[in-house]
Amino acid sequence: MIKSLKKSVNHIFLLGYLAIILFPFLFVLFSSVKSNNAEISSNPFGIPTTFVWDNYIKAWVNAKISTYFFNSLYISILASITTIAIAALASYAITRMRYRKMSTFLFQFILLGMLIPGNALILPIYGLVRKMNILDTHWALYIPYTAVAIPFSVIILAAFMRSIPSELEEAAVMDGLGPFGIFTRMILPLTIPAMVTVFIVNFLGNWNEFLLANYFISTDELRTLPVGMVGFRDAYNTNYAQMSAGIVYSVVPVMVIYAVLQEQIIDGLTAGSVKG
Amino acid sequence: MDKTLRKPLTYILFVLPALILFIAFFIYPIMDAIYYSFTSWNGISKNVKFIGIENYTTVMSDGEFWSSVKNNGYFILFSLFIQVPIIIIFSLLISNVKRLRGLYKTAVFMPSVMSTAVIGILWGFIYEPDIGLFNQILSVFGVEKIYWLSDKSWAMISILITNAWQWTGFYIVMVLAAILSIPKELDEAAMIDGATGVQRAIRITVPLIMPIISVVIMLSIAGAMKAADIVLVMTKGGPAGATDVMATFMLRNSITSFKYGFGNSIAVLIFVFTLVITALYQFLVARRVERIEY
Amino acid sequence: MKKSLVMMLTLLFVATSLLAACGNSSSGNSGDTAAGNNSKPAEEKKVEPFELTLRHTQLGEAKKNRFAILEDAVKATEAEVDGLTIKLDGVDSEVNRKEKLRGEMAQGNPPDIFDAFGSPDVGVYAKEGLVLDITSILEELGIKERFGTSLDPWTVDGKVYGTPIGGSIEGYFYNKEYFEQKGLKVPTTIAELEQLAEKIKADGKIPFAQASKDAWVPLMTTNNLWAYTAGSDFTYGFKKGETKWNDPKMVEALAKHQEWIQKGYYKKGELGLAYGDQRNQIINGEAIMMFDGSWANSVFLDPAQSGDMVGKIGFFLMPPFNAGDGYSIMQDSNNGYSFSAKVADDPQKLAAVKSFIKNLYSEEMQIRGLKEDGLLPAMQIPTEKMNEAVTNDLMKEIIGTLADVKYKWPAFDALVQADVNTELSKEIQKMIGGEATPQEVLDKVQAVQEKANASE
Repeated sequence: MIKSLKKSVNHIFLLGYLAIILFPFLFVLFSSVKSNNAEISSNPFGIPTTFVWDNYIKAWVNAKISTYFFNSLYISILASITTIAIAALASYAITRMRYRKMSTFLFQFILLGMLIPGNALILPIYGLVRKMNILDTHWALYIPYTAVAIPFSVIILAAFMRSIPSELEEAAVMDGLGPFGIFTRMILPLTIPAMVTVFIVNFLGNWNEFLLANYFISTDELRTLPVGMVGFRDAYNTNYAQMSAGIVYSVVPVMVIYAVLQEQIIDGLTAGSVKG
Repeated sequence: MDKTLRKPLTYILFVLPALILFIAFFIYPIMDAIYYSFTSWNGISKNVKFIGIENYTTVMSDGEFWSSVKNNGYFILFSLFIQVPIIIIFSLLISNVKRLRGLYKTAVFMPSVMSTAVIGILWGFIYEPDIGLFNQILSVFGVEKIYWLSDKSWAMISILITNAWQWTGFYIVMVLAAILSIPKELDEAAMIDGATGVQRAIRITVPLIMPIISVVIMLSIAGAMKAADIVLVMTKGGPAGATDVMATFMLRNSITSFKYGFGNSIAVLIFVFTLVITALYQFLVARRVERIEY
Repeated sequence: MKKSLVMMLTLLFVATSLLAACGNSSSGNSGDTAAGNNSKPAEEKKVEPFELTLRHTQLGEAKKNRFAILEDAVKATEAEVDGLTIKLDGVDSEVNRKEKLRGEMAQGNPPDIFDAFGSPDVGVYAKEGLVLDITSILEELGIKERFGTSLDPWTVDGKVYGTPIGGSIEGYFYNKEYFEQKGLKVPTTIAELEQLAEKIKADGKIPFAQASKDAWVPLMTTNNLWAYTAGSDFTYGFKKGETKWNDPKMVEALAKHQEWIQKGYYKKGELGLAYGDQRNQIINGEAIMMFDGSWANSVFLDPAQSGDMVGKIGFFLMPPFNAGDGYSIMQDSNNGYSFSAKVADDPQKLAAVKSFIKNLYSEEMQIRGLKEDGLLPAMQIPTEKMNEAVTNDLMKEIIGTLADVKYKWPAFDALVQADVNTELSKEIQKMIGGEATPQEVLDKVQAVQEKANASE
């Protein structure tokens, strides 16, 4: 009896927190079916009187959300996967191959990347992308996205790989596997939980990335979702209703991915910590 | 064994892709910024004039730069003394319930997946003085209207609250992972000894998750030093520069004014300050909690 | 405790990177040393196909009419010049202005035709020899005189480096329905305007909608006030050191603006509101008048944005202090097209540019801009012709006010250095927030002005 009472106290606090978190989303949902700005601004948190589902259709079709959506989706996924592949190779070399000094140096070097303020780097990166002659193509996002996520991916994957007991490896060597074989057959499968975590975080970062996407892509058909959303928020005229519908489109996929993979994330983190 | 794992060519091939991308997108740009911080370059001209440390002396003697540094400091203090306790409490609460745990975990994370531009618009409505959520709630208690974003004394705290709203859930998920990884036996043993839930939380769980708390603090510091977009979308550094942080101060005083060299000196300072503060934290605090190797 | 260590690092970097990934919405500032260039289309001598890139910023729903006009001018140009293809490259206005174009300029490689802001931007580019001097082209086409003062922001040392897309003026939008109900009349002097404000305030409404999160919004009012107290030419003198910001006449203007703030003519807390909010104050009826640019008219014509306020909004200019002094207004023409200096090396491209200017700056196109886009012509067009073209009442009213105008001037930010604008923007917010007096504001701005003048 007392125990269940305690539990309900917990739930009351948690539900309170949930309300704070979710209220603004409610605003987005309400606004997304309101007819115009006046209706939103006169009573932002009011329940809509009419339901204008049209906003969703308009946002999807007229505002090309569908195009932006798929651009964002495939760039985010591809870049995240590439980062993981490259970072996994490097992490493996750094943690499992016998070049202790070199590896320590490389690891420290890459660690430095975590402290460099991203805000300042856009123009040099622009110059780079321009030199590669890939401006205004999806390569201009794919390569920087892949690169920018490398330091943390290396660090997190390295931490996981370091925790793998070397006995396993010795057995693999006995079986006649080379470094690449050990990497693909043994290390990779064991690192999957960590990879899921890295994937989610990279994916989120890429999915919401605005600055490079806005800057490097000028052809409308190639734009990504955050840029398309800001398209609604034109400097002088704002269409809050359609924008809210756009927000819903941009939030739902990541929430679904997170909801599906969240157990994996937690497991991944847990596995890493226990094995260490 | 060692022979198998000592193949120079394989090592180089494995490391090279990551290294190339890292140098191209991190090291080269920061070098570039350092180089131009010693010039009066306007971002356009072919003549790049070296002016020594003049940019640095100018910015260091600017009172408004230091007030923006102070605002970065508020970001750090707010997360240390407000956000961190909240994170701990709610992580403990979630770890303690079985029912609805999935819902809580998913829901608290939601704000962290939204782009900051969108969050700015959303919270603009919440802080709206007349019809905004906050003032409507306050008016129930007879509190007078607060002009959240336009009153100098409230603007900064408003930004901090929004920032906390965006990121607290993310940290909760992190800390929760740590709590859930604690072996059940420890908790059960304490339960047999008759410890209450609160006692168990304080004596067993919290000490065990101290490393992760330390991480959260580190992250808050790093995040605080880089903060810019949340300020831009909420107040643009206003009113009258009251909410400027280093990064927004840099943007305002470089881009539109064609002072790229000057702006770069601020970028370098942000980098240096971040290094110093994280190093200080490592040596003064983190070491006592948990030695961080590597 | 090594296991927690692993996890700790793991998590540390998970989140740092997320923060980093999410935390860079604003732009960078460092130099661009890249030397490589996109190879431009080869420059053929004969009438062989050649390409011209045109950077525009007419993206999105709100600018679709303006884009259609541009497209037609492009088509006409392509038809006129043999072998020409114009490649359209659309970029968001802010991105183009602050990042993309600057990056390209730093590499000495802007698009052949590009959207730009006259002052200070094009001025800086022109000094580096990156922008085509089009003075002779305009003279040849015989249209230079028709632009009048709207070329001022585009002129450096007597040479013209670009042409404005259109013009806009600033004045008061007001709730006509309310005026009629209360028997209020459009003011002809500042004193009358103040009486109006007093009455509206007594009625429990906000006299003036204003949203000062971006300082240029309140500065529209301030600028117009000082054009009256100090004179319409006064602003030109700051850069030359001939006039001073802290002149008593300037103080008078700021003091007037401050007086209005102190009397509660503006919404409390407007310092934190974004620009779009001042339209909302008019649309939902809480405020009655709003000082804004004529470009705002499209908002009040669009039912999706203005609801049932469509058709109930009127427009008048800020009146002079004394009746009969003549109206003095800002006429903005700072956004337009400039051309790469490299065009001059290629006779084919030069001819194409000339044809483009001819096609975009015809009377027909200017009237189309007015009719379809609500954009006032950058060139002088007879009022009757404008009236013929316009069908909605609000736009007619805006055009109608032009006949009363005696003095026109560009906004101050087109006439002073960017640093000065940055300083004034910050200080005016302080004044609105009650933290600085007009004298203090202007003393500080003058100090920055002197420093900026000295470094030129």
